[in-house]
Amino acid sequence: MKRMQQKGMWVLALLAVVLVAAAGCSKKHEVNTEPPVPVETTPAEVIPAPTTPEAETTPDANAIDYKALEPQEYGVHDVFFAFDKYDLDDQALATLADDARILKDAGVMILISGHCDERGTVEYNLALGEKRARAVRDYLVSLGVPAGKMLITSYGENKPFAQGHNEQAWAQNRRAHFETP
Amino acid sequence: MKRMFPSWPVYVLAACLVSVATGVVLAQGSEVVIESTRTAYRKTDILLNEFDVLSGGENAVAGSDLVAAVLGNDLQLSGLFRIGTSGASSDSFAFEFTIEGRVEGPLMDAEVSGEQPPLTVSLDLLTYPGRQLLLGKRYRPGPDQLRITAHHFANEVLAMVTGQEGICLTRIAFSRGTGDRRDLYVVDYDGQGLLRVTANRTLNLCPDWAPDNGQIAFTSYHRGQQGLYSLDTATGKVRLIIAQKGLNLGADWSPDGQELLISLSQTGNPEVYRIDPAGAVVKRLTVSPAIEVSPAWSPGGHDVVFTSDRTGTPQLYIMDKDGSGRRRLTFEGQYNDSAAWSPRGDRLAYATRIGNLIHLVLIKPTGEDRRVITDQGWGNCEDPSWAPDARHLVFASDRSGVFKLYVYDVVEESFRQLTYGDDPDITPAWSY
Repeated sequence: MKRMQQKGMWVLALLAVVLVAAAGCSKKHEVNTEPPVPVETTPAEVIPAPTTPEAETTPDANAIDYKALEPQEYGVHDVFFAFDKYDLDDQALATLADDARILKDAGVMILISGHCDERGTVEYNLALGEKRARAVRDYLVSLGVPAGKMLITSYGENKPFAQGHNEQAWAQNRRAHFETP
Repeated sequence: MKRMFPSWPVYVLAACLVSVATGVVLAQGSEVVIESTRTAYRKTDILLNEFDVLSGGENAVAGSDLVAAVLGNDLQLSGLFRIGTSGASSDSFAFEFTIEGRVEGPLMDAEVSGEQPPLTVSLDLLTYPGRQLLLGKRYRPGPDQLRITAHHFANEVLAMVTGQEGICLTRIAFSRGTGDRRDLYVVDYDGQGLLRVTANRTLNLCPDWAPDNGQIAFTSYHRGQQGLYSLDTATGKVRLIIAQKGLNLGADWSPDGQELLISLSQTGNPEVYRIDPAGAVVKRLTVSPAIEVSPAWSPGGHDVVFTSDRTGTPQLYIMDKDGSGRRRLTFEGQYNDSAAWSPRGDRLAYATRIGNLIHLVLIKPTGEDRRVITDQGWGNCEDPSWAPDARHLVFASDRSGVFKLYVYDVVEESFRQLTYGDDPDITPAWSY
């Protein structure tokens, strides 16, 4: 928990001083034990390089542009589930406690997507993924994150994070994932 | 959603469609009784004569060969016939017997003529050896209509033999692609005529045909949110039916086309609803903190089968269409889902998990006569959908390493592959 917090601060500091999110992103993945999130556009493409010093164009130079980042880049972590389950285990509860604090500070809209491993039918897995996303949202609401700031969706088994056909891959794919809508 | 749909092919036969003679009861040919592991059934011998090309040269010869191949394949896929020949060999079709030693049976004969399309194709069903006309049709197919011509006549022959319309003009809609880029496709029941019908760079899933085949309902995503959409099969236009927060999943048209079953989750849980085709909720059918998904109508529209994990594992239940009278259908296994009711009503197909694999099962609506029809060699088998003949069902299997579509004949207990290629094909739905 402490490590994650430090990492979040590290990214934050890097953003404020250098404002090169791409560097933060790639380094973050080097130290992260989770597989890289398949983000379609890298932050480097989204954030225009400032042509003038940031302080001159923006009143608050230290503000993080959360909307331009994926939640993982400011320290929000995905949570994982047991086979065929959508209840939150102790590890998930601990992760979400951290996530809730960061999300309350960020105050931005996020999308929580539910995912499943490949064992199961397409339709049932979409429902299972939704239950997972909703369980996460409901718990975050109980911790004070405004319900109106969270969208949920389900991709079932359609967007796997790991491609293997074994428990290692399946465990990675049973998750609720945070993304910027 | 972007409208980038190709124009839909229209099944209209060009110009004259002359019925020369009808209403004669088909003389039964010699019958072969084939013993299967479970069923004894009869096949009727039918002779496919070498088609006469009266004029038109190569063009007419090619047309004649195509019609003969499609027609012969249709009759074979029906499972009702053994196809024989009067002695002519064919490159395009493998006959099961020759006429030698057989003295009676229906005979298919044809005459093809024409320099340019439209050709004139006369198709006859005759008694043999008497050559009394049982069924005669004359078609004037355009260049792209030879296959439809053959399918149409095969349907006529099947209707005469079985008293039930054939499935030779039916098609299968399905989802093809990977990740969150999957488009809907449609393919003829014999695997030909593949057509992509969505191109919106998102995830399109779970198609279901309206009973008049005029619309395909399907689940798609817009900005990450699910919605139920309808594709007009004549124009290719897509309209939104319903997009509540959460799931808008797995629609099933009612047999009268007036309603759809769907799973919605706006109340907090996936629940089964009836909606009208405009998207208005008619009735909520389930109330439980569990997952309730995959609803499907009984053929008469009186009952609904669906999946619920209210006991802790996904199981199948049947209820009346007003949500009352719920009864549990499956008790065996920890994972039972994706039920599809046979158009004849006498059984359901569904998916069950055994070990780490999903297998297909047939069961009576009473819960009796449970029969697993796929084994380990078939990998995962999912999403069965019945053909209107209640004899064939299509499903997705990853036996080759990637999900492709296969057709199962419940009488012959035989399989054939329907789609090919590297991209996964999932959630098939047979048309009416």
